[in-house]
Amino acid sequence: MRMTTTRPSRGQKIIKWVVATVFLVLVLPLVPYAFDAYAEKSPVTSTSSSVPNPGSDLWREVRQRDGIVSGTTQARGVDAGTLINYSGEEWRQYRNSKLVPYSAYILGAMLAVFLIYYLIRGRIRIKGGRSGVLIPRFTLFARWVHWVGAVSFMVLAFTGLVLLYGRFILIPVLGAEGFGVTASIGKWLHDVSSPVFSVALIFMIFTFLHESLINFKVDMMWFLRAGGYLGGKHPSAEKVNAGQKLWYWAVALGGLAIVASGLVMYFPNFGQGRILIQDAHMIHTLASVFVISFMIVHIYLASFGVEGALECMTTGYCDSNWAKEHHDLWYEEMEKEGKIGTTFESEQQAAATASAKPTEG
Amino acid sequence: MAAMKFYCDAERCIECNGCVTACKNENEVPWGVNRRRVVTIKDGEPGERSLSVACMHCSDAPCAAVCPVDCFYTTSDGIVLHDKDICIGCGYCFYACPFGAPQFPSDGAFASRGKMDKCTFCAGGPLEDNSSEEFRKYGSNRIAEGKLPACAEMCATKALLAGDADMVADIYRKRVVNRASAALGSGYQLRERNLGSRGEMKGKVTN
Repeated sequence: MRMTTTRPSRGQKIIKWVVATVFLVLVLPLVPYAFDAYAEKSPVTSTSSSVPNPGSDLWREVRQRDGIVSGTTQARGVDAGTLINYSGEEWRQYRNSKLVPYSAYILGAMLAVFLIYYLIRGRIRIKGGRSGVLIPRFTLFARWVHWVGAVSFMVLAFTGLVLLYGRFILIPVLGAEGFGVTASIGKWLHDVSSPVFSVALIFMIFTFLHESLINFKVDMMWFLRAGGYLGGKHPSAEKVNAGQKLWYWAVALGGLAIVASGLVMYFPNFGQGRILIQDAHMIHTLASVFVISFMIVHIYLASFGVEGALECMTTGYCDSNWAKEHHDLWYEEMEKEGKIGTTFESEQQAAATASAKPTEG
Repeated sequence: MAAMKFYCDAERCIECNGCVTACKNENEVPWGVNRRRVVTIKDGEPGERSLSVACMHCSDAPCAAVCPVDCFYTTSDGIVLHDKDICIGCGYCFYACPFGAPQFPSDGAFASRGKMDKCTFCAGGPLEDNSSEEFRKYGSNRIAEGKLPACAEMCATKALLAGDADMVADIYRKRVVNRASAALGSGYQLRERNLGSRGEMKGKVTN
């Protein structure tokens, strides 16, 4: 039996809103760059800055000894015996003059590339049009795993970017006190979403592992032809193409790095010192910027950029013509297995009857 | 306009922890937080020195530079303060500060951090001077009363100095000169009496 559907227009509206929101979220941090408003704030310009600290010579001497000067102290606490920890200054330089501007450049460039690509190429339509014949693609379980991971990660990414850029973008708008409330809620959301994402990440890694294993010949060819996005014939692809496989491994490895480094910062009560936390923060932010910039690619291509892609993850079914064009090897496989035009339910029934037969006989 | 600074004279500090106690008592600092601490280098060895450390009220404060919500401000006296109503307890100031001044009370589940707490130079916070709310959040505001920080006023050996940077520097400069001349003078007397200069006296001239 062949199944036909009419496309749900409400679903598409929701998708458009989601895409618009995500786009705004990622564009918003870049607004001040257009006005060149961002610059490392110059040190306090009051007269106090011109007065040297009377202890500066003493502290310079302390600092110039080898390594971190530690002593004994009656104060209880991690690093309490450390007199001066100059890695704090390195961390400040990393965050304020490297991470903030360069991450904005990377994310901004990513958005710009896809905006330009969209303007030139437009939405990639299904060439043969929709056949109306559906192929089951992602099970309900896989879709749940995907969306729980996706939503929690987007919350984390958004709140993380608020913490990173908020001081430069939102404080001028909301004022320091208003942004304090926003950031408090953001930090709470970040703390709450992180365990959800951590669990979802483990599930995602196992759920999508099989189809993301590398098939060197096919995947290399896909990369050499740039996935057919820059013109030319669409290269062959399995259930997921090489780009999607790369995204899987970026999420898997980047996600694990984010979760592991996040735990170091999440539980400051295990006696980890500042240096370890600084390193964890560095790994956390670098991996996050990497995964977020990759996420922009994924969201664009899987929702807006390619017609017929998003419904795979919402309804679980894809159009047969879409599968032929984008995942030809998988289509052939499905054809062999006779799964074209079937549903998950009919498959389950078939599997049930197939397994029931031997006991009957 | 003054620029308030602390200075701890390592030649005078005897590690009595009087400043720590004075600070805790004056400001009713929350449990687990030490706004001031005394660190001893080479404890029990020759050359042992102690330093009392708290917020240095930096001119270009790293805590203020990395704060994602920009809750720090510098008063006209050059004192670095923060607003606990804006602070979100992220811990960035704690990562960036070289002196370990900002600290966090363990406030809730999973050891989540509460609002940051640090030395205020006994100058309270952004709330109304000497109001009960200001005292509850930031501790005493002695500066508003025309007094210096409790830790320095309490210091028995006057090792810990607090006040206008120029005046503190003057006091310290006089001490250095006096120490040098005393050491040189004793060396001169020793030579006069044909006792020769003693090697260990050299160390006294410089810190």
